[in-house]
Amino acid sequence: MGVLTELLKGLRATGSVLIETVTGKEMLTTRYPKEMREKPQRFHGRHVLNRYPDGMEKCIGCELCAGACPARCIYVRGKDNDPENPNSPGERFGFVYEINMLRCIFCGLCVEACPTEAITMTQLFEFSTTNRGDAIYTREELLMDTDGNVPHMFPDDPLADMKELLTADGWLKATAPAGNASYEGVQTWQGTPGPASWDPEPDQETRDS
Amino acid sequence: MTARETEGVLVTIDGKEVRAPEGELLIKTAEDNGTYIPRFCWHPRLKEVGMCRMCLVDIETPGGSMMVTACTNPISDGMVVDTKNDRVKKAQEAILEYLLINHPLDCPVCDRGGECPLQDQTMSYGPGETRFVEEKRHFEKPIPISDLVLLDRERCILCARCTRFADEVPGDPLIEFKERGYGTQISIFPNQPFSSYFSGNTVQICPVGALTATPYRFRARPWDLKAVESTCPHCTAGDRISIEASQNQVLRFLGVDVDATNRGWLSDKCRFGFEYLNSEDRLTNPLARQEGGTYEEVSWGEATSIIAQRFGAIREAHGGDALAVLGGAHGTNEDAYALSVFARDVLGTKNIDCRMDDALGTRLLTGIDRRARISDVDTAGTIIVWGPDLKEEHPTLYLRVRHAVQELGANLIVIHPRATGLDDRADLKITYRPGSGSDLLTQLRGGDRDDVNALLEASPVVAFVGRTGYTEGPTMAEAVASWILELEDSRVLPLARRANVFGALDMGVAPDLEPGRIAATETGRDTRQILGGLASGDIRGLLLVGADPVRDVPDGSLATSGLSGAEFVVAIDMFHNDSTAHADVILPALGFSEKEGTVTNIEGRVQKVNRIAPGSGQSRSDWSIIADIATALGSDLGWTSEQEINDAMMARVPAYAEASWDALDWEERDGVVVPAPGADVPVYRPEMTTQPTVGAELVLHSARKLYDDGVMMRKGPSLHRLAPGGFAHLHPDDARRLGARTGSAVRLVTKRGEAELPVQVDPSLHRGVVYVPFNQPGVGPLGDDPVVRVTAVGEPD
Repeated sequence: MGVLTELLKGLRATGSVLIETVTGKEMLTTRYPKEMREKPQRFHGRHVLNRYPDGMEKCIGCELCAGACPARCIYVRGKDNDPENPNSPGERFGFVYEINMLRCIFCGLCVEACPTEAITMTQLFEFSTTNRGDAIYTREELLMDTDGNVPHMFPDDPLADMKELLTADGWLKATAPAGNASYEGVQTWQGTPGPASWDPEPDQETRDS
Repeated sequence: MTARETEGVLVTIDGKEVRAPEGELLIKTAEDNGTYIPRFCWHPRLKEVGMCRMCLVDIETPGGSMMVTACTNPISDGMVVDTKNDRVKKAQEAILEYLLINHPLDCPVCDRGGECPLQDQTMSYGPGETRFVEEKRHFEKPIPISDLVLLDRERCILCARCTRFADEVPGDPLIEFKERGYGTQISIFPNQPFSSYFSGNTVQICPVGALTATPYRFRARPWDLKAVESTCPHCTAGDRISIEASQNQVLRFLGVDVDATNRGWLSDKCRFGFEYLNSEDRLTNPLARQEGGTYEEVSWGEATSIIAQRFGAIREAHGGDALAVLGGAHGTNEDAYALSVFARDVLGTKNIDCRMDDALGTRLLTGIDRRARISDVDTAGTIIVWGPDLKEEHPTLYLRVRHAVQELGANLIVIHPRATGLDDRADLKITYRPGSGSDLLTQLRGGDRDDVNALLEASPVVAFVGRTGYTEGPTMAEAVASWILELEDSRVLPLARRANVFGALDMGVAPDLEPGRIAATETGRDTRQILGGLASGDIRGLLLVGADPVRDVPDGSLATSGLSGAEFVVAIDMFHNDSTAHADVILPALGFSEKEGTVTNIEGRVQKVNRIAPGSGQSRSDWSIIADIATALGSDLGWTSEQEINDAMMARVPAYAEASWDALDWEERDGVVVPAPGADVPVYRPEMTTQPTVGAELVLHSARKLYDDGVMMRKGPSLHRLAPGGFAHLHPDDARRLGARTGSAVRLVTKRGEAELPVQVDPSLHRGVVYVPFNQPGVGPLGDDPVVRVTAVGEPD
């Protein structure tokens, strides 16, 4: 007898949740893909290669992202900038940049390793493909255009939400610009990829006052 | 030597008592005994300078403890050293902080980043944070100081390694400090690039990324390179190298410090001459010539069956001696052994030669009595160089000789028809006309030259003997070697170029030698006779193995007529070249970084060659191609790997009994010198002969430059553009007589060729000698006959 009572006790809990769900009183799942859940600020989604406000590429082809990558899914090769028509400031630019998204574990170590904030992550995570080749994102597919638009491999994809590509997981500026002493230790937060549209961060004197 | 130098003195380093010879530098004693003292400027192969102050240590003196630089202080008895106390740590932090004041920290775009001594030591010994936030010093970012080296003065920490190297080691002091104090910087002289043959070494020893090499610039980062130790395939010195590759592409060579051979240095040809391996022109598939002269890709099976059928038919109809094999000096010993066995046992021919008619006698090269080791130059009293310009043909031997003369006090006699790289260090330089060498030799032998006699009193005598140029026959060198061996306490090192020519000869890729340096009972034809035989029709079938006789044989027109006269030619090669153009079947071969095996250097040192990259397309190693052809011809040689050939080789060739792969890989990393002790190898004593004096008014001197127009150089963009091009060098007197001057053109006519070349007046030449560098872009072959007629073309403007 005791067993039956216990069983009914348990089934009551199941039944009450069932009723609540069916009647829509307390819905825990969302109707994906009709409804999208709000993603946390630091969501690690698809990568994007950024540019400076003047349109120069930030990537210098240093391969630190590839060196830091635990999944070994990044392949970078550097090349000399043409001094007349440089791709990036300085001597070197990322000539080849490929990420194998099938291998990527979206840990964000590449973003941390990048010395120029060239690679950042966006909130886009829906980019399944129908073949393995398409999962290898090349430089053309990762690099944003000079207007700050990030290319999407399948723009017609009903799931593609271009807004997500324009939301960066926040990242930190770790170095003071151009060695200016008043910026020492200043850390800033940039919430979007692409050309900086935010106000310059306050320097030390302004913050202290 | 005093007892203190032999037994050593007692030094206490960080509380540990060690013994080392008195006078040794403290930094070396410490390192040998397990205490690493950080340094930037000190390099074990350069003179100490105490520039960077990074190696400061504390020593106890009667007046209290004192900070000294470990790199400039020799040890003495009872010295007590502290390398780790707080004072030392503070000094190290201060020095690093000071060095980093102006170092730009552009590590992400710096080729050194990841393997940079400044990075590493800043991590290990540095303060961990910077207090310097002011603007750094700026210079123009990389400026080319030569075609191969870029200088970034912002990164330079002024350690003087490059300037000391250029001055001390190759004797090309073309790079120096300029300005003073804060403005001090490395610089070249105005309008004088750092065009040393050894400039790449400065890139390797630079402790920061101030000097970078254009061929490696931005090609990879250290963490995506994989490395394997191997032996340099460019000259016969057997330099130890580390081959580094990324994504299956060989990207750079670094010198490995081995005392027996190169001591860490490499010539730029060795260092940057690998680019052909990655060339897009590499052959990828077997090719068979179609009617009409075009080539079609065929399968390996088709190619081998065509070859077997045609070679078989020739062998059947005309006997094995109607077949010949040329080449094999660029492969491994295993390849050479396979080739030798294939030629003798399968093709049934004795006509096999790996020398391109530009070397010496096989017996002289392999079995000369009292053959010197490279290291003998270090103990030599007198060094004689009568042969090619070492700087042009044997660059690392040039460094060894230079070091012995400059630092170890050996006398040096250089005998050559024109200026050589060693002239500035020579105690005596004799310039002579090719074709009158015998007269000079008679004088020297007769003791008529007091200056030579005086120098020869310092023994032992070590002589480098070879052909000074291609218009001087190999018998001249035999006579010179014979004279050297008449001297007491003397040794001879016969010179020959082309990677593994010594190994190939040891394996019997020679008309008069069987594997193991044993004289063959019946002598076959050498290269010259093979080419002659092909032209006349005595020889019908030819197998070329990595050989380009049209370019490499001094008498290029003989090679062309021979190859075009051949009935059936097979070429095993990496590229199409002037000789494969005559081939009926071309088979793609692996390069040296794509196969495993052993090679033998000029002194008989057997070293390992290792694989790091796959070959292009369907290319295969020489031995496996040969084994397949043998099988198709009905003789299964039974080899399935290089290792098996090596075993067979060791069993058959007693001289190589100790050079097993195992020993070379694990026990004798610096190689094993053959012949093995106890091996029964016949000793050769060259005969003294007299050459007839060439009485022509002008004689031709034709010798190689380091950079030429060979196929491997042509396929490497970095070095090929450095080939100086064709010039006719004339003595000023001859130029005046002919009405030519620097820049005007002359027409040269020899028995075997002709050329029209711009003139360079060259006072270093002997009167009556015309020097034309061999195999330069745009210059046809002039042959090996010394008689030359020269006429001026047009009026000099």
